Amino acid sequence: MAALLRSARLLKCSPAALLQVFGNSRHVPAAGRLYSEAVGTTRAGLCVQTVPGRLNVNRYNPSVAVRSKQAQQFDWALAKLDSSVRRTGRVTKTLLLRIFHDICRTGYPSGNQALLLLRSCGSLLPEVPLAERIELSQQIWDKLQELGTTYDVSHYNALLKTYLQNEFRFSPTDFLTKMESANVQPNRVTYQRLIAAYCEVGDIEGASTILGFMKSKDLPITEAVFNSLVTGHARAGDMDSAEGILSVMKGAGIEPGPDTYLSLLNVYAEKGDIAKIKQTLETVENADILLMDRDLMQVVFSLTKASHQQHVPEIVEHMRHERGYVPDAMNLCLSLITHGHEETAFSVLKSFTGLLVESQTSDSPDLGNFFLRHCANMDKPVENIVGFCKDLKDSGLHSSPLQFTLQCALEAKKTGECMAVELMRSMKEEGLPLRPHYFCPLFTHYQKDKNIPGTLQALRAMQELGVASDVDTFSIYILPSFPSVDSARTSLKEAGIDVDGNILIAAELRTEASRGNLAGLFSLSNAFRASLISGFRGLFAGLQYFCCSGPTEAPFVYLYDSINVFIESRKCQIGSSLLFAENVAYFLYNLIDSLNETEVHSKEEQIREYFGLLKNMNISISLNIFRGIRNILESYQVPELVKKLERALELKTQYETDMTPAAYATLINLCCRHDNAEEALKLKMELARKDSDAALDAQKYVALVRVLSKHGKLEEAIDMLKEMKEKDVQLRDSTIGLLTLTMNTAAMKGDANTIRRLQETIFTLGLAKPSSNLCSPLIACYLESENYAGAFDATVEVQKQYNQMPKIHDLICGLVEKGDAELLQKVMEFLSQERGEMMMLYDLYFAFLQTGRYKEARKIIETPGLRARPTRLQWFAEKCIAAQQMEPLENMVDMTVKLFECDRDDMYHYLLRLCKETNDWQKAEATWMKMQEENLAPRERTLRLLADILKNNDKEVPFEVPEVKEPIRSDSMGMVLSPAPYDTLIKTLLASGNIEDAMAVKNIATDHIPGFSLSDNANNLLIISQVKRCQMKDAMGTLKGMLQADQVPTQLAITRLVQGLASEGNSQDIQEAEALVKTLGSIKLSSMLFVNNTALAHIKNEDIDSAVELLESFYIQNTENQKSSISFVFRKVLDANNDAVLDKLSAMAERLCNHFASYRAATDLFLIYLDTGRTEEAKFLLQRCAAVNEQKDTMGYFSQRSVRTLTHFSTWRPLQHYYFMRPDMCRMKYCMFSPSLSTGLDKDFSSAKALYERMQAEGVKADELTLKRLALLYKEAGETVPFEEPPESFRFYADKLNKQRSESMEPANN
Amino acid sequence: MAATAAGKKVFEVFVSKVPWTVATKEVKEYFRQFGQVKKCLLPFDKETGFHRGFCWIGFTTEEGLQNALQKDPHIIEGARLQVQKNRKPFSGRKSNKEAEDI
Repeated sequence: MAALLRSARLLKCSPAALLQVFGNSRHVPAAGRLYSEAVGTTRAGLCVQTVPGRLNVNRYNPSVAVRSKQAQQFDWALAKLDSSVRRTGRVTKTLLLRIFHDICRTGYPSGNQALLLLRSCGSLLPEVPLAERIELSQQIWDKLQELGTTYDVSHYNALLKTYLQNEFRFSPTDFLTKMESANVQPNRVTYQRLIAAYCEVGDIEGASTILGFMKSKDLPITEAVFNSLVTGHARAGDMDSAEGILSVMKGAGIEPGPDTYLSLLNVYAEKGDIAKIKQTLETVENADILLMDRDLMQVVFSLTKASHQQHVPEIVEHMRHERGYVPDAMNLCLSLITHGHEETAFSVLKSFTGLLVESQTSDSPDLGNFFLRHCANMDKPVENIVGFCKDLKDSGLHSSPLQFTLQCALEAKKTGECMAVELMRSMKEEGLPLRPHYFCPLFTHYQKDKNIPGTLQALRAMQELGVASDVDTFSIYILPSFPSVDSARTSLKEAGIDVDGNILIAAELRTEASRGNLAGLFSLSNAFRASLISGFRGLFAGLQYFCCSGPTEAPFVYLYDSINVFIESRKCQIGSSLLFAENVAYFLYNLIDSLNETEVHSKEEQIREYFGLLKNMNISISLNIFRGIRNILESYQVPELVKKLERALELKTQYETDMTPAAYATLINLCCRHDNAEEALKLKMELARKDSDAALDAQKYVALVRVLSKHGKLEEAIDMLKEMKEKDVQLRDSTIGLLTLTMNTAAMKGDANTIRRLQETIFTLGLAKPSSNLCSPLIACYLESENYAGAFDATVEVQKQYNQMPKIHDLICGLVEKGDAELLQKVMEFLSQERGEMMMLYDLYFAFLQTGRYKEARKIIETPGLRARPTRLQWFAEKCIAAQQMEPLENMVDMTVKLFECDRDDMYHYLLRLCKETNDWQKAEATWMKMQEENLAPRERTLRLLADILKNNDKEVPFEVPEVKEPIRSDSMGMVLSPAPYDTLIKTLLASGNIEDAMAVKNIATDHIPGFSLSDNANNLLIISQVKRCQMKDAMGTLKGMLQADQVPTQLAITRLVQGLASEGNSQDIQEAEALVKTLGSIKLSSMLFVNNTALAHIKNEDIDSAVELLESFYIQNTENQKSSISFVFRKVLDANNDAVLDKLSAMAERLCNHFASYRAATDLFLIYLDTGRTEEAKFLLQRCAAVNEQKDTMGYFSQRSVRTLTHFSTWRPLQHYYFMRPDMCRMKYCMFSPSLSTGLDKDFSSAKALYERMQAEGVKADELTLKRLALLYKEAGETVPFEEPPESFRFYADKLNKQRSESMEPANN
Repeated sequence: MAATAAGKKVFEVFVSKVPWTVATKEVKEYFRQFGQVKKCLLPFDKETGFHRGFCWIGFTTEEGLQNALQKDPHIIEGARLQVQKNRKPFSGRKSNKEAEDI
């Protein structure tokens, strides 16, 4: 948005425009008057965003799930306009009109949309003549008013701005009357602009009247007013007074700024006084004031308008070609052309062609296209244009300027006709070919209007230029304009146009054909049989042509764009809601941490309520933070904590022998919390003595490290870190934070050595990766003692070693404060070398801002070529907001007004956020004023924030607050959204896990589309998402809803649902789900899904008997069930290391095997054992249930599945185990061969061969697939195959095997 | 594929980035160097009177098609044409074989 929000400063045609940049003044004295509120005291940073990074908490309020349509539209329109401004520095009239009509069509233009449109009617339209711009702004103003937009003072100010930018003469008193009748109070900006309007025409008296008004209202007289007065006096012919204004300003305590000098330069330019201009430029330079290229371009414009263009080259020489120069210079050219100074424009163009980038579409040079196009559009004299073309061509800048200009002229239609013909004449003179189709655009144009004279004229021109017209031209463009072919023939003849008879006949044929006049066609074709074929060919071509030129894609593009914009904005919202949850949690942690025990107890109820609220809002707290909170609360819950600690220690001595490692860990942690290093260490050593393998968790280790290092036991602390590494204790982010804290404690004591040792140990052991946070204590340590040289050395050290640069801002600030230029220089060189010049400049800039050296800061930010780095600006802004530092923030906002690509709305939003923090409504109001001065169209969030601050202070809000109105409606953007986009959006949201937003969208859709319901896919996704969030009730509800709506849930959704229910131990709902799904019949669900998960649900409820009973009866009751596997249950139990359950299940399996001859359970268990490498258990089971080995099918399946799914080693090993357990079981041996031959091992021919020989020795019959593979191996090794190779393909035997298997068994569950 | 089918098939290339200054005649003439050109369809926009910047060229032989595809760059009046094997048949003509290739 930056480009648009940046004040458009190019070619402010009148000095009046200089008004706009109040922020440019050195506002130290003005600030005293305007902003009397001092910076508030720093409060506990509870609600403050201290984390840098994009935290646009105000942009999208996550509690409002759906943003208003207007806000979206604003963003959309803004984005459209912005991308134009960003690329080109201008807006085309077509684009502006399109957006205007789109905004109108929705019927609810909002206040800031209106502002945006008005704002674009001035100098952003360099291609549009001034009068037309005024017309446009008036049209927009009236239309929006008619549509019910409420105008406030900011709109009147914006309108005034367009008047000024477009040199519109109006009566300021009438304007005030108009405002008065609309009951809108003028403000400082209004008066300033009215003064400018008077000054524009040299009416000092009028300006003085307004000035009197301002004084009587006690409004501050700012730099802008003086700047206008410079112009005013000059235009009144009084140059002495104009020059005198500067000293008047100084007398009033206002330093003349760049804009003051620009006013002066412009009035000199109007007088053509180049000597004075040069002198002023020198003064400016000496005063260390920076004039931008844009400013100089205004001088160029003023010179040219006053017919002193001979001085232009001298000014152009002064330009520094800073960032954004090319688009600005192009706009200067366009403005000059618009104002009738194309010759000067051309000289400007020639001065920067070296900077223009050639378009990628062409291999030959085509510089200056924009110039030629605008000349054509403005209907410039052809001889001038031809001159430019010749120049461009001769200097090798453009390969075909005439052709290009002709194209533009032809496209311009209305004005282009004469020009086009003239251009063609020039082309002919240049020896360039002229072709019949060059005339087609002209004919098309005339044909649309049925303009017969025009058509005839163009035909005459064709004839005159010696261009032969062809059949196409006649049939498509010419004949249709005439009522009949006969009248055409007559008219042509009368106009003296010779037409080749045959061509006309052919054309007639085609025309008749395309008119569907078959009779005419027939009679014609009878007469001219020879031409019939060509006639039909024409008809055919015509049809094809229609196909090709069918409906445009525009509507689709449009739809797509708007959905995109919508999705885009939703995404942002998802992001911000995530951020929000995190902040809330962290906030909570801080809150509870900052309370003392009694407070916690007294506020227990409130905290509980807050938890409840969060739960209702569905804001979840991340586990880490949750643990932190829990720990604090736990430690507080115990009354008289110290007593408890003592008691605990007592208990320990009492029950020393019974102490488990966990009990030790708790005690150690307790000691750490209470800063008892001795005792903690003692306990730790005791624990190590008792159980050398026992490890604490990361948090407790770090707590120990902290307390040890704090009490000077550095070596012990480092030993702990080493132990952590040995025992492979993983550090989480929160524990890493604790490490930083540990080192910070050392930093406060100035103990650099400790920090270095800890840092080194942590990084070399790889416990944590070097980060800015972990590296910062070392620097902080030196800064604490104001040892800047030490800090710098440490910075270099840390950067070289760990590639981190923490605390650099603090270091630079320290140096600036101290005035140590030499070291500062070193730091800057270092920064520049490590991070580049731009970053270095920003670092320096922020340090100057932070230390109140605003003049220096301004110089830095005005460095040519510097551009906005939003993240860095945000970093500083957030820092200021967090520390409630208004002055540096305000200065930053002021100074960045001219910064290339600076998002002004962002800047003011930061400022308002701080106002909100400090509840400073006066400052907020002043900020609003400044936004108007800058002619900014703020985003809704900014306006809302401003309104909030004012309302909180019972102040009137002087503008219409963009409310969060009805969310997107089906008719927003003027179209009806079909259910499909909603569904897609919902699915997208669900896929990213955002159920709330998805449901919000669903509600909108339901509101606007009668009978809207989610598609099958969306509902399935919803079930899965709900299960993920453990919202099992909702998930069940969704399933029921689906079934009622005759939708089909997917296998995956049902599986997830049932598994989710199992993990909650909800066997009842599993039953219900089973009953529901049974009615479906059509989906393929494993029959075991419900059995297994019901069993797991029982296990979850610790009702193991029920689980056993269920599974046992399942196998006993029906022998068919042998085919169904319960390995899923076994696996889950094994994964959970639930030995007690496993014992019972394994007993059940044995029982089934030995008493009921039901082997499946035992087999499954056996295979699971093998699969998970529990060989001993497998062996043991086999001894007890010998029959397992007989389960050939299952075993075979196992081996096959292993082949398919596992890597060959992990497969091979269990199989080998199995084989060696029961070497007597010949039948099963081939199990081990197939996988060995078909997986990675098959490269090993010798083992394959050995295996085969063993198979033969043991009488194992290999299946055909195995033989086939084996044969391949033999052949590859160049040996004769010792058996007859199966004749069919691999695929054939593989299919055969699969078929056999599937006939004999059902696939195992899960 | 058009290239392999026998009979009356036309061997087509799709040409884009055709400069506005040239029309059917010029394009046809340009492509003649690669083989006999049987068809040249350069659609014009009825709204603007300019052609749409792309066209289809049909060669009578596969050789012509291959010749055209092998040449790079194709320059006509200083502008670089983009020439590729036609993926879409001429509008209005059915060709199932080609449709399968899309």
